[in-house]
Amino acid sequence: MRFEPRLPRDGINISQEHPLKEAAILIAGLTAVFAVLFGLVLVFVDLVVMLVPPSAEARVFSSWSAEGLDLRREGPRVEAVQALLDRLVRHGSDMPYHFRVAILPGDDPNALALPGGLILVTDGLLRAVESENELALVLGHELGHFHHRDHLRRLGRGMVLGVALAVVSSAAKTRLRLADVVGALTARGFSRDDEQRSDRFGLALVQAEYGHVAGAWRFFERLQAAGQGTAGVAAYLSSHPGNRGRIDDLESYAHEHGWPASGPASALDPALSR
Amino acid sequence: MDFPITITNTENVTGRNIVEFYGVVTGNSVRAKHVGRDIMASLKNLVGGELKGYTELLQESRREAAGRMVEQAQSLGANAVVNLRFATSSIAQGAAELFAYGTAVRIE
Amino acid sequence: MSFESYMNVLRFSSPILLLLVTYLIGHGIERRHLARLRAREVAHQRFPVTTFAVLPAGWQPTSSSMVSGSVVISLDYFKRFIASLRGLIGGRIRSYEPLLDRARREALLRMIEDARRRGFHAVVNTRLETSRLANARKDGKGTSGVEMLAYGTALRLHDPPA
Repeated sequence: MRFEPRLPRDGINISQEHPLKEAAILIAGLTAVFAVLFGLVLVFVDLVVMLVPPSAEARVFSSWSAEGLDLRREGPRVEAVQALLDRLVRHGSDMPYHFRVAILPGDDPNALALPGGLILVTDGLLRAVESENELALVLGHELGHFHHRDHLRRLGRGMVLGVALAVVSSAAKTRLRLADVVGALTARGFSRDDEQRSDRFGLALVQAEYGHVAGAWRFFERLQAAGQGTAGVAAYLSSHPGNRGRIDDLESYAHEHGWPASGPASALDPALSR
Repeated sequence: MDFPITITNTENVTGRNIVEFYGVVTGNSVRAKHVGRDIMASLKNLVGGELKGYTELLQESRREAAGRMVEQAQSLGANAVVNLRFATSSIAQGAAELFAYGTAVRIE
Repeated sequence: MSFESYMNVLRFSSPILLLLVTYLIGHGIERRHLARLRAREVAHQRFPVTTFAVLPAGWQPTSSSMVSGSVVISLDYFKRFIASLRGLIGGRIRSYEPLLDRARREALLRMIEDARRRGFHAVVNTRLETSRLANARKDGKGTSGVEMLAYGTALRLHDPPA
């Protein structure tokens, strides 16, 4: 037996396929699979929510109280907004809630629908709206959340998505960042759809109340002009559609239904305009 | 396992002589199992018995590792690999590395 | 853009950036290591290494000793990420192959270099062992590196081959 020094060819134990290409295929493939999976799961939640009667939902959220928030529930401004809200409610909502409004101190214009029938508007919002039509659209949007059972939907989605992610994690034996990301983006997509539906519901209420939709979304236009909107990729990643998108959608929705886009703007209650 | 050259885990090939030896050749294979096999395995954990899915997986892996080792040997000009050894280790959750190594030789 | 949207863009793009950066750096380190390994293997080509204990006729060992070489190679984020995806769908984890190959060759070379330095002429009965180092995470899962050990009997010969 003689020793003959020789070396084997290099690279036999290494796959020649480029790791980036493999990564791209894996990521694309799994993203598609997760998107479909989570999408189906969320659609299922939406179906189940529709089967739950509104009275049951009211019971679920009845223990929700807004104690501890610094709210103003009395005063001339609250009464003025409440009056507008009552007028809008008459036009359409079969939810078994007694809708009340309260004012949240704060300079950021914002409106919130809390489970149980409470709608919050901020000081900033009341200062920013210039006509009653604008405020009506905002309140109508919040009423839309109640009408479409969005609180129950979000609750259900959160739970079911959490379970789906846990199943995927245990299958992969490790926390898959990719699954989290796809899950979050899918949920946001559904959330944006909710917001759009609420916008449209609010617009329908405005039409019913005033006979036209002129001036209703001027508030969004001002926000958009002030640069307080999201656009492009950022809009895709957030849970609210960007202002430009909302305005366009409202315009085309009104156009579809033949709602007049011109008409007299109603002035705000004196208690609200300063 | 059928390979184009002789492989054995003894130091000599029966009935032949080793004329030259070249050096250590190795072959490796890293594989992960997919969810399907995993689920079957979890169920089997309850009742016991052979995990056919894993058996097949590791057999495939071993074949691949030995195949690469043979490829290295062939590229040297060897016609046999002696003193073959296999080693398995767990590299990551749910993934195992299998490697085979031996000495590449020329027999007559 | 509002603050919320800035945070969103950051949150969703940072994992991708991290993947790309760790891939590029890891790939660079790997290429350099592989090149150096080849160079060292060529340099030590004439040093006989076997996995069996039978000695060639004509070899007269005057002394022997155990020699070993070991190395721990770490996994980069990109490799771990790909492996975790593979954990779902199965198949060959190609990203780990260069890692294990480098570890094995490095361990063998260190063993040879150790033997040479101490004046030995050959190594016989070589064995290779792999083990995984567990992460310092709470649940002990995850891999922070792979250790490869090569050990054998080094011989000092009366008539060293070339």
